[in-house]
Amino acid sequence: MKQHSKRAAKLVLVVVIAGAVYGAAQTRKEFRYTVSPKSTVYVANQYGPISAKSAPGNQVVVTVVLRSDKVEVEQSQRGNRVEIRSHLLTGADVDSGQADYEITLPSDANVTLQSSTGPLHVEKLNGDVTLEGATAEVDVRDLSGGHVHIKTLNGPVTLTNVRDGHVEITSVSGDVVLNGVEGPLVQVNSTSGKIHYDGNFGFGGQYSLTSHTGDIEALAPPYASIDVTARSVRGQVENDFPLEPKHSSFVAKAGSAFAGTVGKAASSVKLLSFSGKIHLKKR
Amino acid sequence: MNCAEFQDDLPQWLEGDRKVESEAHLRTCPACHELIADFDFIRRAAGQLQESAEPSPRVWNSIAIALRQEGLIRDGERESATVTVFPRPRGRWLNWLAPIAALGLIAFSLWTYQNGSPESAGQSALPPKVQTASMSLEDRQLLDMISARMPSLRQTYESDLQDVNAYIQDAEQSVHSNPNDEEAQESLMQAYEQRAMLYEMALNRSLP
Repeated sequence: MKQHSKRAAKLVLVVVIAGAVYGAAQTRKEFRYTVSPKSTVYVANQYGPISAKSAPGNQVVVTVVLRSDKVEVEQSQRGNRVEIRSHLLTGADVDSGQADYEITLPSDANVTLQSSTGPLHVEKLNGDVTLEGATAEVDVRDLSGGHVHIKTLNGPVTLTNVRDGHVEITSVSGDVVLNGVEGPLVQVNSTSGKIHYDGNFGFGGQYSLTSHTGDIEALAPPYASIDVTARSVRGQVENDFPLEPKHSSFVAKAGSAFAGTVGKAASSVKLLSFSGKIHLKKR
Repeated sequence: MNCAEFQDDLPQWLEGDRKVESEAHLRTCPACHELIADFDFIRRAAGQLQESAEPSPRVWNSIAIALRQEGLIRDGERESATVTVFPRPRGRWLNWLAPIAALGLIAFSLWTYQNGSPESAGQSALPPKVQTASMSLEDRQLLDMISARMPSLRQTYESDLQDVNAYIQDAEQSVHSNPNDEEAQESLMQAYEQRAMLYEMALNRSLP
């Protein structure tokens, strides 16, 4: 029993020391910038997460935790533009080069965030949002009114509650999930990732979901007002809505292509794939 | 001199106009030293590839059409010199020719990156070939660069590049089978955009 206690004590000691060493290697920094309306914030981080959300006031506050002394921060403010970059030093790798960013900024700020590994998280903004990451998981929620441009290689993308936005998403193999996304333009372009849309397609927007091999699934309520065109060259298409035929050069083909209108056909919806399965589902 | 100032001065450096401050910075900054080493490597490799880097007639054709649209060259000026792979732009074609031209320009950017500067390339150097379906020369060069700069992402890029090339091949076949099909044209545009994005992301210096 006594021996067990000694072992436990040693283990705790090792953990405490390891934690202290790990903590000592980390550095936390904070940068504050006073900005005018419609400021621009650019953050490029090779490895590690970036999170940005709105806060009241006219300040951009950037908090960064550097995981080792192999990564440092270059920062500047020129006029209404704030620019932050992680700078890797010799020997930095995906672990030691990691920097974790948390940013608060005015809701009307325009934001560009880049991180290879991510994740990238943005919420509650009205300005333009541009996110770019290779394997980075992207999570965007509660945006309105701005342009939302997202690019990933295999990083999955999730958008939730994005209103009145010009949304353009390009992902090679990451899955794309859109929940409650509406706007004058919603465009998703994927090669092998799946695309899932759950919303009502707004009123008067243009929606284009395109893939090569990824499946496309769109859920809409029975009252949706859409002019829909769907085709999968080698995959299957399914449709749960009763469609009114429309005059078009588009050739409908049972099982692989359909076109028609629902309600007043206010929004244009195009679902295109080569070998992915397409399903327009009624919610 | 810091890294940003050194990179501002990079074009002059690559043309041989080397300041003492730049040389001093290069001796103390491993990152910039590595960048210059990459440039030297790419420049040497590109020198061996110039003869085989003839661009596809389609690239020139697309760029010529886009330039004609912009009014930068007159209609018919090079009509006989280009191979007409796509039909004359009409209606929605106009919307997607620019991205294809952009793809050509990105290919050109890669070539420029490889050669240091356009001025140093000489008359005989041409942009790399834009090929599809298989791993082309510039794809392999890109992957080599990724291996050197961010080895952990090599597999992702390689796999995605193959998928995108297959996408382009399918989309091209679809357009050739149905030249007037708007959706086929749109898919081809999207496929090219995927490839353009992949290259753009790989070449973006702000990422590792």
